[in-house]
Amino acid sequence: MKILVAVKQVAALDEDFEISSDGRDVDPDFLIRDLNEWDDFSLEEAVKIKEASGEPVEVIVASVGPEEVDESLRKCLAKGADRALRVWDDAVRGSDPIAIARILAAVTKREKPDLLFAGVQSSDQAFASTGIATAGLLGWPHGAVVSTLRYTPGAKTAVFRRELEGGLLHEVEIQLPAVLTIQAGINTPRYASLRSIKQAAAKPIEVLTPADLQLANDAVGEAGSLSRVRRMYIPEKGRAQLIEGSPAEQAQKLAAIIREFKGEAA
Amino acid sequence: MSRTDAVTRILFEAFSKAEIRIFYLLGYAAIAIFFYGVYVQIRKYRRGAALRLEGSLWSRLGAMVGSVLSHRTIDRRDPAAGGAHRLIFYGFLLLFAGTSTITLEYDILQPLFGIRFWHGDFYLVFSLVLDVAGVALIGGLIFMMYRRGWMKLPKLNYARPDRVPGDVDFNRPQYRREDWAFLWTLLIIGATGYVLEAARLVWLHDRVDVWDTRWWSPVGALLAEGMRALGMGAHGGGLLRHGLWWFHGLLALVLIALIPFTKVKHIFTSAASLMVRDPLASQRLTRVPDSQEQVGVAKITDFTWKQLLNLDACTKCGRCHEACPARAVGAPLSPRDVILSLREFANATLESGVLPDAAELNVHGKGPGQVAMETLWSCRTCMACVEICPVAVEHIPIIVQLRRKLVEDGAMDPLLTKTLQTIHKTGNSFGESKRKRGSWSKGLPFKVKDARKEPVDVLWFVGDYASFDPRNQKVSQTFAGLLHDAGVDFGILYDGESNAGNDVRRVGEEGLYEVLANANVAALQSATFKTIVTTDPHSYNTIRNEYPDFGGKYEIQHYTSFVKQLFDSGKLRVTNPLKMRATFHDPCHLGRFNKGYEPPRDVLKLLGCELVEMGRSRANSFCCGAGGGRIWIPDPVGAEKPAQNRIREAAAIPGIEVYVVSCPKDLTMFEDALKTTGNEGKFVVKELIELIREAIPAALNTEVA
Amino acid sequence: MSGILVIAEQRRGELRPVSLELVGAAQSLRRDGEQVAVAVLAQDPARFVPALSVAGVDAIVTVKVPQPEFDPDTFTAAVGALIEARHPDIVLVAHSVDSFGYVAALAAARGYGFATDIFKVERIDGELVATRGGYGQKVSVELDFPGRSTVLLALRANMYKPPDGAATPQVTAFEAPATASRATGKEFVELSAGDDVDMTAAEFILTVGRGIGEEAKVPQFRELADAVGATLGCSRPIADAGWLPKSRQVGQSGKTASACKLYIAMGVSGAIQHLAGMKHVNTIVAVNSDAEASIFTVATYGIVGDVFEIAEELRRHF
Repeated sequence: MKILVAVKQVAALDEDFEISSDGRDVDPDFLIRDLNEWDDFSLEEAVKIKEASGEPVEVIVASVGPEEVDESLRKCLAKGADRALRVWDDAVRGSDPIAIARILAAVTKREKPDLLFAGVQSSDQAFASTGIATAGLLGWPHGAVVSTLRYTPGAKTAVFRRELEGGLLHEVEIQLPAVLTIQAGINTPRYASLRSIKQAAAKPIEVLTPADLQLANDAVGEAGSLSRVRRMYIPEKGRAQLIEGSPAEQAQKLAAIIREFKGEAA
Repeated sequence: MSRTDAVTRILFEAFSKAEIRIFYLLGYAAIAIFFYGVYVQIRKYRRGAALRLEGSLWSRLGAMVGSVLSHRTIDRRDPAAGGAHRLIFYGFLLLFAGTSTITLEYDILQPLFGIRFWHGDFYLVFSLVLDVAGVALIGGLIFMMYRRGWMKLPKLNYARPDRVPGDVDFNRPQYRREDWAFLWTLLIIGATGYVLEAARLVWLHDRVDVWDTRWWSPVGALLAEGMRALGMGAHGGGLLRHGLWWFHGLLALVLIALIPFTKVKHIFTSAASLMVRDPLASQRLTRVPDSQEQVGVAKITDFTWKQLLNLDACTKCGRCHEACPARAVGAPLSPRDVILSLREFANATLESGVLPDAAELNVHGKGPGQVAMETLWSCRTCMACVEICPVAVEHIPIIVQLRRKLVEDGAMDPLLTKTLQTIHKTGNSFGESKRKRGSWSKGLPFKVKDARKEPVDVLWFVGDYASFDPRNQKVSQTFAGLLHDAGVDFGILYDGESNAGNDVRRVGEEGLYEVLANANVAALQSATFKTIVTTDPHSYNTIRNEYPDFGGKYEIQHYTSFVKQLFDSGKLRVTNPLKMRATFHDPCHLGRFNKGYEPPRDVLKLLGCELVEMGRSRANSFCCGAGGGRIWIPDPVGAEKPAQNRIREAAAIPGIEVYVVSCPKDLTMFEDALKTTGNEGKFVVKELIELIREAIPAALNTEVA
Repeated sequence: MSGILVIAEQRRGELRPVSLELVGAAQSLRRDGEQVAVAVLAQDPARFVPALSVAGVDAIVTVKVPQPEFDPDTFTAAVGALIEARHPDIVLVAHSVDSFGYVAALAAARGYGFATDIFKVERIDGELVATRGGYGQKVSVELDFPGRSTVLLALRANMYKPPDGAATPQVTAFEAPATASRATGKEFVELSAGDDVDMTAAEFILTVGRGIGEEAKVPQFRELADAVGATLGCSRPIADAGWLPKSRQVGQSGKTASACKLYIAMGVSGAIQHLAGMKHVNTIVAVNSDAEASIFTVATYGIVGDVFEIAEELRRHF
């Protein structure tokens, strides 16, 4: 059986970053790239299923992005993925999560896995949508925020628990093939030593364009997105609002803040 | 020939031919068993990985002979044991030489060439020397018995911290049995030698040249007088001599035969280990060739033949066990027990004719002879074990090799994993942006030169902690001010500098170390400077000793010796002598690793401080506990930390005012320990740089506001 | 029909408070004459009508669903049908775990304008503009939805005020299409809290730092945390010193308190490594005797004062 794991190379902001001249993104000089934290967990979950399985399981990682994404894909190969796939061409630039989902749906149709894993969200944009949007486009059963998973390769269903607000879990049984978005903390991702990453460079990464997947240009990029970036800006950095008064008065205001918050989470 | 000229001992006197033949047969058998045992041991070593030694064999031999004859390594920190062992060693050596001399004449020179020399004056002096040697031997042995049986030395306590009661190899009574058997056997051989000597004298009482010259064997003669006084006659003496001769001889032959199978083999293995010693074993670890498939050590056969030899050289003296800071605070690590465990494992698997399957050769785990993860991760790579070992066992490369395998398998504390990933991503262990590496210098009233952009005389390699940790950033600012005041032309690499990698390597992440070393060497190669100075002993160690393997050979000093030079040349002058009672903590990587003991002390004295040494200082300095990646691994809650142990040692110095460090990690660890041991307010922890600043108050207000 | 459609959230028979925040957001958006309708999907949706009868709600649509709790296929079909029937300009849902389970699939399949984790929504020159965070919440991003007749937005909780006052909205029922669900919801499981506390799940954390001075003071703050209902956390120096287990450490090298919404830091100076783990938290209250402590630059509220005095006073209120 096959598990397809969709991964994203996210970008974190370096110190003293600047907004680019068109005002809609950050100057790429200030972006530090790394594999999305959630994808560490979803990949590990897939590799764990593979290692525990009696029958052969193939774990494929797929990502959408330019050549620099290969570094993250190699890390995945070092951690136990069997094959890696990357989709890119200039038309993909400016895609929102839904446009990306269109690409992932096409990849899924091509690879025909039994399970598609994605992370709950990415650490940079945190849309928390790509995986489930892919399910919607595929018409597949789906479950989000999976914090525990029980699946035996070959079985027709899987049982998982979704992690709700406030520390509550909800157990669900789902039919396969299915899309699951994996929550951080589901397992302990293994460490890939630098040596193993270097050696994974020997494994090939297949590179495709949207056209290879029968995707028209208007299915991807800004044309294929359901939102558009108007403006990106750096918000005002506040200083804390100081609570004045005697210690008793300060404590009283603090107690009020706590009560207000708890009124929510009760 | 005069009568005394003819005096000698007739070998095998009054023995039947059959007896002599039997004795020779037994002798050959013993030697054969001995050689077989040697063969088994050598076959064992050869089952290890290959290794080429550096340097000439002759200089190694010379160094070894010098060490052994001087007993310098055994004297250290235990002069009583050194003295007693000297007696045993020289006593035994002389007695062995004596027996060999006799054999030489009796079995070779006389029958083949007709040469005889063992008679007359030579024989008499010979007898005296051997009697004295025997006294030395027995004296030494008796002291050792007392030491082992009554002195209850902690280092001779074989209880091991890396096993629990119930484990198969928890209690090792076989070691104690063997220790005592060895002592008693030698003692009995020695004692029976004298009684035998005395019995012969009694037996040959009537032979004038024997009896008249008896005092050349004073101990024997005394015993003989005693025996005669008790009424023993010649006949009785003869019987005693005959029986005791066999007993003494057989016991000696048994000892010889068993040498390669018992503790007695240390005679050879310890000397051999000393001969293959690498004085930079801990300071300069070895690279993993790209072509090598297996990283680190998984199987016992992954160790080199030298490491397998090291395992056999260990005499269980316990000095490393005593010195280890992890063991001292109750961690499940004793360097001694790592070595002994592996030795037991090697003996169990590599001494049989057929090598067992690979699956049975795995040294990681909690089974008998295996080494557990927790043990390996407890190590601070402080080198106290390697430094004190009298027989040149190199524990640190062994531990790092085992760690390399753990790292490949990802078997690490999650915090350590996260730190390694952070270092890979940002080049520092704090996760801060590379661009901020030089930010500590922004508050200074002058600009610190960018060594990437312009040539400088001195390139200051700052290091992670000194760049990013707030407390240590203050020290960096102070040092920059001092250099500025002294008119030193210096610069830093700003973002071009990455973590030097010393601890990453010692954690076992060799791949990441290579990335860091290559990056730093590239940055250094493209900069123009005369010398490197660093405030971080860990960086100092790796740049000095390990970067040459990566194409980066530089002149580098730790700031303490550089500052000493500034004082010597008058560029820095004390204007406000500090009259403080100070003690100095030698950082592991500066002191033990690189012998930098004196410059900081010279500087402290120049500052006007009264230096009082702690009990464990210089080569015996007690590690703060941060090394070997331990600063990135959480300590068990509730356990004492090495830094606390060390601060308590300092607190015991009456009137101590300042505890001086010269390493950023030391500063962090000891300031914390000062608080958590409740000593805050009693004395302070200061970086030497800060004391220098106090003694040379800023003329131009180079202090940060 | 146009108007604004709010999808309320309920769980285990209780209306989730974010539902009313969504109404508040709808209020701030509505143009003259625009209707705000609130839909509630449940086995017994009628029971939520009173709670949803708040000012600003013009209509309540009850949708009966077969499952007692959230089901992706059912919700996708039901909400999709509701939108097709009512043609709202804007659909507001909560950016919540339930929403994660279906809204993206719905929007992608139907082609609605779509964005999530929105903390500000407004109309600029007639265009709907939604603002969210970007690059780990370090920047703000304004989005618009050209050419989309229906825009589905998932709003961040705790950002909008629920409306004051009651109302009597029109209540209608909507027949959801029969859907074969491919998932079966089973039981709920509570996470037990041992002392192996999971900081990543804690929503309210009270952290102590070096400012508390010594180990002996820890019990006082443990007790305070219990009293106010917070999980006790600590900064790195405290964990390193062994005063609290490492599992309680918050900050760069400790657990990232990713679910934390209210964070009270007592005696924490705000060293970079600590703050790195807390930047995303909605409300940070810093209590520190040092007015220059760097935590005050990231905190929402600050109290400059003696940590112990504030702690004692605070204790009195719980």
